[in-house]
Amino acid sequence: MKLRGGLALIKATWLSWMQVRSFFFLLAFGWMIPPLIYLFVWSTAAGSGTVGGMTREGFVAYYLVLIVVNQLTYSQTNWTVGDVIRYGGMNSLLLRPLSPVFDALSSEVAGKVVYLTFVVPVTAVLAVILRPELHLTLRNALAFVPAVALAWALRFLWGYSLALLAFWATQADALLALQDALIFLLAGQVAPTVLLPGVLRTAALVLPFRYMVGFPVEVLSGQLDRVGLAVGFAYQVGWLTVALVAFLVIWRAGVRRYSAVGG
Amino acid sequence: MQYLRMVRLFISTAIQNMLAYRLNFWISLLHSLLSFGTGVIAVEVLFGQVEAIRGWTLSSTLGLLGTYLTLGALRRLFIGPSLEALAGMDGEIWTGKFDYTLLRPVDVQFLASVRLWQPLALLDLVLGGGVLIAAGVRLGHTMTFADVLSFLVALASGVAILYAILLAFSALVFWSPGFLYTWLFNALFQMARYPVGLYPGWLRLVLTWVVPVGIMTTVPAQALSGDLPAATLAGSLALAVVLFAVATVLFRTGLRRYASASS
Repeated sequence: MKLRGGLALIKATWLSWMQVRSFFFLLAFGWMIPPLIYLFVWSTAAGSGTVGGMTREGFVAYYLVLIVVNQLTYSQTNWTVGDVIRYGGMNSLLLRPLSPVFDALSSEVAGKVVYLTFVVPVTAVLAVILRPELHLTLRNALAFVPAVALAWALRFLWGYSLALLAFWATQADALLALQDALIFLLAGQVAPTVLLPGVLRTAALVLPFRYMVGFPVEVLSGQLDRVGLAVGFAYQVGWLTVALVAFLVIWRAGVRRYSAVGG
Repeated sequence: MQYLRMVRLFISTAIQNMLAYRLNFWISLLHSLLSFGTGVIAVEVLFGQVEAIRGWTLSSTLGLLGTYLTLGALRRLFIGPSLEALAGMDGEIWTGKFDYTLLRPVDVQFLASVRLWQPLALLDLVLGGGVLIAAGVRLGHTMTFADVLSFLVALASGVAILYAILLAFSALVFWSPGFLYTWLFNALFQMARYPVGLYPGWLRLVLTWVVPVGIMTTVPAQALSGDLPAATLAGSLALAVVLFAVATVLFRTGLRRYASASS
């Protein structure tokens, strides 16, 4: 069974990643900083009043959730796919009786567990210090779970497809940097989507990036009404379909083009 | 004199090295434009919502961003590459390649700090300078010769503080090889992109007294907007001198612990 092999690989990778925790904790720390900066800046801006209808406590809650969601959906493995293709590491992956995407998925799961053992406690401590205010409703909490799952799938497949362009171009990594920049601007990190000025907000609502990070955060922090929720999920599923098709097309064409180097 | 000649040689080697990889120029240009663009847009978004935060306006915060980008560019140009090669991932202290540095009849700290140059960082320098000039124009007050001079002194002491902290962080590798202190510094350095005054009290204390990354950008930005007390400038200079001395002692003490690797 392919699935059993996949699960074994996931377990092996996870155990080996836990061995070198301090390195991954450091990475996770680095990724926490940008949202943390905007948490402080916006909550200072709000002071004891409100900015764009959000209070200081609201900003703190929004950004603390964002730190966790960002870590949950960030596909760090996409950065290594290019190297695997360039240096011929793909050879041995292709020989396995399961799709190489499982290799990336196993690193994903392993990474998530290691990173979250760092990020969750730190966020909890920050929550105690900074006193966020979260009006949690059952509907929002229930909608949050599929929103995060879809966001992760979208971000992973989107990044994986971009990384697979390494079959054609040696420097496809540059596109991942571009994606990270767009996520920074449009996925609710620099500011919650509602606070973005006109053009940026429209771009954020239409392009896929908000649905990789910002959308689930907005869901949990209760910024969306019933319509906003429905439209958001529609966009999320739509973009996920696009990403899935893109992945399949690029993967098939790429593997046919791949001529093993080294190995 | 001999040292200046060596620096010239280092630079010309770096330029030859750079010319060998022409595609890298475009990739690097993309990265520079991304960090410049996201930085500026982030500030614009923030001040689209509020007029001023704790006395910082759009113009003065842009001045600070310009300082941050300029400092980052200078670091990438000539301090960063060498110290990253020394203490970064698979650094020379970890692999034992540091032996080759020690064997040369030149000052070790000099060689370890400025051996490698990254000429592509000049792009960042141009963009950072552009933001500084734009901010200066927006601030609107005519800068006297004394203003320009105090800005340059503040910037120079910022560079010295940056170098000292980076050297100190790199030197810690002698005590715990393999831990990526320079990455830890990267994470903290990002905090310097906003004025320390925008962070909560405890963090402001950390960024001023423990790891003074806040001073590096806040002081020159104050000089740019013309409200820098002479005492602060003197303090920043004194801090630069003290930190430089402490970092040098730390580096030399660490050096004695170095026992090579492999072989």
